[in-house]
Amino acid sequence: MLQATNLTKKYGNFTALNTLNLSVKEGDIFCLLGANGAGKSTTINLFLNFIDPSEGQATIGSLDVTRYAKETKQLLSYIPENLMLYPNLSGLENLDFFCGLGGKSYTKGQLEALLKQSGLQPDFIHKRVGSYSKGMRQKVGIALATAREASVLLLDEPTSGLDPKASNEFSELLLGMKEKGVATLMATHDLFRAKDTGTHIGIMNEGVLVEQFESGDVSFQDMEKLYLKHMHN
Amino acid sequence: MRQVLLIAQKEIKVALREKLVVSMGAVTLLLLGVALYAGYVSYQQQKEIITKTQTEKRKEWLNQGDKHPHIAAHYGTFVFKSKTVLSLFDFGLDAYTGTSVYLEAHYQHGFMFRPAQDHTSMIRFGELSAALVLQVLVPLLIIFLAFGAFTRERESGTLKLLMSQGISFRILTWGKIVAYGIILAVVLLPFVAGIFILSVSGIRQEVIPDVAFRALLLVLIYSVYLWLFISFSVWISLRSATGRNALLTLLACWMFFAVLMPKTVANLSESFYSLPSMREFRARIQEDKRNGLDGKTPRSVRMARLEKEYLEKYRVDSVQQLPFNFEGVSMQAGEEHGNKVYDHHLGKLRETFHRQNRLSSIASLFNPYLAVQHLSMALSGTDMHTFIHFEEEVEGYRRELVRKMNNDMAENSRYGEFYGYKAQSDLWQEIDDFTYQTPTAPVLLQLYHLEILSLLFWMMSVFVLLNYSNRKMKPLHG
Repeated sequence: MLQATNLTKKYGNFTALNTLNLSVKEGDIFCLLGANGAGKSTTINLFLNFIDPSEGQATIGSLDVTRYAKETKQLLSYIPENLMLYPNLSGLENLDFFCGLGGKSYTKGQLEALLKQSGLQPDFIHKRVGSYSKGMRQKVGIALATAREASVLLLDEPTSGLDPKASNEFSELLLGMKEKGVATLMATHDLFRAKDTGTHIGIMNEGVLVEQFESGDVSFQDMEKLYLKHMHN
Repeated sequence: MRQVLLIAQKEIKVALREKLVVSMGAVTLLLLGVALYAGYVSYQQQKEIITKTQTEKRKEWLNQGDKHPHIAAHYGTFVFKSKTVLSLFDFGLDAYTGTSVYLEAHYQHGFMFRPAQDHTSMIRFGELSAALVLQVLVPLLIIFLAFGAFTRERESGTLKLLMSQGISFRILTWGKIVAYGIILAVVLLPFVAGIFILSVSGIRQEVIPDVAFRALLLVLIYSVYLWLFISFSVWISLRSATGRNALLTLLACWMFFAVLMPKTVANLSESFYSLPSMREFRARIQEDKRNGLDGKTPRSVRMARLEKEYLEKYRVDSVQQLPFNFEGVSMQAGEEHGNKVYDHHLGKLRETFHRQNRLSSIASLFNPYLAVQHLSMALSGTDMHTFIHFEEEVEGYRRELVRKMNNDMAENSRYGEFYGYKAQSDLWQEIDDFTYQTPTAPVLLQLYHLEILSLLFWMMSVFVLLNYSNRKMKPLHG
């Protein structure tokens, strides 16, 4: 569903991403681990066509994201580290607006159900987003991904800054999406969450995908050792 | 289109929930209301005074009793410049051009009662007219409304979420432009309705024959002008990295277009094409009236030539033998000589005015504020061209009045019996009351083709800029 082929991004002499090759299939949750500046967010931004690749290709559903920007965006949903919504609109109004932009139309009842399903407390559905915590905003993001019936989920450090309970709820929602066959690419610092949720793990260092393996093939301790080894290199 | 409307709807909803936007809209509407009300009060007061005084002066003219026609020509009458109903919207040059003029034989009096003479310099700097609010203050409201159109989305992080929904910058840009346009239209709607009601209700007494059409054109040019500001502000926001940068850039542009450039152009045109003082202008006319335009033909020479011409034409030896009173002919000849001298000097003066105006028109190509200012005054009937048209009509009326008086004297009185002949009220009634109608808008707008071109040029430029930036823009730099 998601494919990077020799994907490279350079800023002048600096190489932010170096010949990345990866593939995420339907129902996979591919977690990209790495320190700050490792190239995780650059990868996500390239799949979103927010920046142009210097070399190589990123495809979603076999479509090149630079040539078929609109079509590929119809297939995906994106949740950044800090999902920002319009603070003067309620969670429901935000969801309605973003669904509308994606060409989806829902009744008020359906939107309420989607928000409740993603774990947002009913009291907050009609309150302005300005009063939401980060976790609540991320839940609206999940509701949006569900509402858009996205087949690809791009997540850029979505659990960063969330408390353990909210983090756990978020992981459960992701697993729910996985069951529906959604292909997920998630950049994260959180080794535990990656091991717990991901089906595939990739470790990035200085723009290079230095390691990739299936989550079930490696224990948490071994994964941690591998990670630290690459970080010290 | 559906996405454009969705974005517009969201922008409007967000703007309405921001107290600052609502308060600024209310303040703008209040300012427009105050300006319009002040304009209306001033229009009504002046209209009443003019109607009353004009009726009195007409009565005085008709009831002046038996009198020698030339004395009547000197007794003269007053003509008043009626305010156009649209002048309550744009005062234009009305405060500087004067409202009444005394008409008499041999002499072209200047216009009197210029409101600017009675005001302090602060008022002269710019009275609060509705046009001023629309030209200068509403663009400020637009700047505060739109400077964050993109920078706020970028800074808060919503831009990335928006773009991930598959919408393009083009859709986002037009959605925002439509939203700000609708917000502005809602704020200005009561004001536009007010202008229309006042314009249409004032048609009967109006000196503007096509007032409703002009009001429509005013709505059109101001819509274009405000659209330019909205689109330009959105474009600056699109190109700016931060809201602070966008706001500072837009305020600098506003200062340049609405304050610095118009003042500079006015000062430059005055320096390049300076006008003589009124005293100097009058002195030159008097000098040429005395000695002729060539400086070598005094009155005595001109009169001797005229006398010789008539004696030869009628084959008589003295003016007493002519079948009419030669005094009437000589007075009319003197009048025509004075007119020729006046036309010569006024022509030179107007040429300087035209050069100043041309410079300002050329400058308007680079500044839509100047273009809309000129067009607004023209459509409101308060511009220099309308005033010149009025001045010409008044002078034509004065000349016809004096000609009729002199002809009557030539035909009905005898040479040397100046005080013996007295004309009666039937002669006074031959002089119709002065009425005035401005040129129609299409005629007037032909003099403002550079200003119209300017608005078209700016519209096209903003379209091109928006189109180019929308194609090149990415949510992230790199």
